[in-house]
Amino acid sequence: MPASRDSVGALVEERRKAALEAYEAEPVPTWRRSGFWTTTLRGLDLDALEPKRYDEGLPELDLGDEEHAALIVQCGANVVHTDVVDERITVMPLEQAVEEHEELVREYFAKRLPHDEGKFAAGTAAFWTGGVFIHVPKNVQIEKPIQVVWLIDEPGTAQWAHTLAIVGEHSEVKIREFFRAPDFEGQALHSGAFELYALPGAQVDLAHYQDWGRGEVYDLSTRRVEIRRDARVKWVPIHLGGRLTKQTLDIITAEDGSDMKHTGMYFTERDEHLDLFTTDKHEAGHTTGDTVWKGVLTGESRASYEGLIHILPKAPEVDTYLQTHQMLLSPRARGDAIPSLIVEVDNVKASHGGTVGELDEEQIFYMMSRGLPRAEAVRVLVEGYFEEVVQRLEDPGLEELVRRRIAEKLKGAEDQVREFIGERAEAV
Amino acid sequence: MTLEIQNLHVRTEDREILHGVDLTVKRGETHALMGPNGSGKSTLANTLMGNPTYEVTEGRVLLDGEDLTEADPDERARAGLFLAFQYPATIPGVSVANFLRMAVNAGREEPIKVKEFGVLLRKNVDLLKITGDFTKRYLNEGFSGGEKKRAEILQLAMLQPAFAVLDETDSGLDIDALRVVSDGVNAMRGDERGFLIITHYTRILGYVRPDFVHIMLDGRIVREGGAELADELEEKGYEFVREEVAGSAG
Repeated sequence: MPASRDSVGALVEERRKAALEAYEAEPVPTWRRSGFWTTTLRGLDLDALEPKRYDEGLPELDLGDEEHAALIVQCGANVVHTDVVDERITVMPLEQAVEEHEELVREYFAKRLPHDEGKFAAGTAAFWTGGVFIHVPKNVQIEKPIQVVWLIDEPGTAQWAHTLAIVGEHSEVKIREFFRAPDFEGQALHSGAFELYALPGAQVDLAHYQDWGRGEVYDLSTRRVEIRRDARVKWVPIHLGGRLTKQTLDIITAEDGSDMKHTGMYFTERDEHLDLFTTDKHEAGHTTGDTVWKGVLTGESRASYEGLIHILPKAPEVDTYLQTHQMLLSPRARGDAIPSLIVEVDNVKASHGGTVGELDEEQIFYMMSRGLPRAEAVRVLVEGYFEEVVQRLEDPGLEELVRRRIAEKLKGAEDQVREFIGERAEAV
Repeated sequence: MTLEIQNLHVRTEDREILHGVDLTVKRGETHALMGPNGSGKSTLANTLMGNPTYEVTEGRVLLDGEDLTEADPDERARAGLFLAFQYPATIPGVSVANFLRMAVNAGREEPIKVKEFGVLLRKNVDLLKITGDFTKRYLNEGFSGGEKKRAEILQLAMLQPAFAVLDETDSGLDIDALRVVSDGVNAMRGDERGFLIITHYTRILGYVRPDFVHIMLDGRIVREGGAELADELEEKGYEFVREEVAGSAG
């Protein structure tokens, strides 16, 4: 942005204009990778979608935790509910923050989110409305979570979303973002941007919980987390539903001594399509990372997880690793899990590994030998497989919500799983 | 009340491993099945529990008269059969205590009360001299060989089956662990329960004295007798039995 002292509002408008040009210039993308993988938006009727506005009010929500430090809910195109319990923090619509928190918005807004990173990033930059702004001042410890909810209430909705979160020096906070929709028939779009800045010494416990339900919700989002000196971010993204999800998730240790823990999971079913690209980017030295992603596929779903560790030239003494696991529970599901590594400096420790597999018949036999029927053995094994990720939430309410949804999804897939595992058992 | 193995022939994909095994274990009896590596002992153990890797081509397995030859492993477990595995599977994300609760409940109509389960677990944990956070750890994940065997015997003690097959539970145990495991098994012996202890070595039989000993060679039971047969084997080794069998066949 120009260094002039234009009003922040004017700067945001300028960005919108530039982004609109980029949006209009770009065709609807198709993402291809070598191998079989393609993510296409051919099925999405973009012209039929529009932003929808709703009256203020608190919709019925199940967020796992009963209490919060703050809760902000955007339905469709506008914020419908804001409740800030802890008065030390600021949580408000981003539109309002552009007016009321000029200096913070000027410094941080879109700092890590260029408007020209592709059609939907441009669309988000051009069209976002409402939005969420979180500011935690320095030296504040908050026990209860700050909850952000993005709701799509009906088909035909285009939701362009932007969340900006700034956590001040040496503050400790939990932030949860939820993405929810009722089971409807028809299409909708969530095109989202999320940016979080963890200032020096801050400790952020961040979770994303996506469950768009059975409707045809397309989620095309970019999320970036920047971690400054000696700050630490634990990030747990959870994907439990969406017709098509194409997301870029980047976690960046930007200054010395910063630390990331990045633990994600997904469960795809029916004809869902999930395409995730995460980057653990180390821009500074003496930083540490620990990434584990686990997925389960049922039905005819497709899921690709590509995880990159990128260590830049000025980042010596980095110690990091990335693991990705994927489990197929259906003969018609297709998956891909690709860890990769770019290291541009000597003297770092970086390792990665990946597995794509099926349930182990030996484990099933073992559990059945203790009296558990096959379906229950499968359920327990899958729940156990995810447990490492679920426990990283360190949040009993949210953990319970995730466990319950996994159990429901497995119950829904029980017949095909039985068929799949059973056939394999008989083929032996 | 018996576990009856009648003329059991078992094969894997590429070959037949058991060529007609007959063995009967009555409740209250402890049998030892001994044999060198590759003689078919573990195949028998796995077949008794219904491991789908093995195919029964002839013969039957009966438990108290009920034919279990085609039953799924979970049905066999609920019928009262238990196998302590030689190489138990690792179950990530499932704690020992949670797994035990599920296994106990699988054999009951009504789930066990939390308090009752706690009392039962504590009793058996003490019996097997288990310390620390063992029951909170994920089942077999990162367990040493001895810890895995102890976890198997803990399951046995919690489930109280009518018939227990111990597949080389003694291998890989140091002498202290062997003593603890043996004490645990002895504590569970009684009129209502039968044991089939499969072992390569005679060592465990010094602690758990069997009523009957069977020797398996090349997929057949070739010698049977009382506890003194184990002593003879200890002295003379499997080669002696092999030569003896070859001699009588010639």
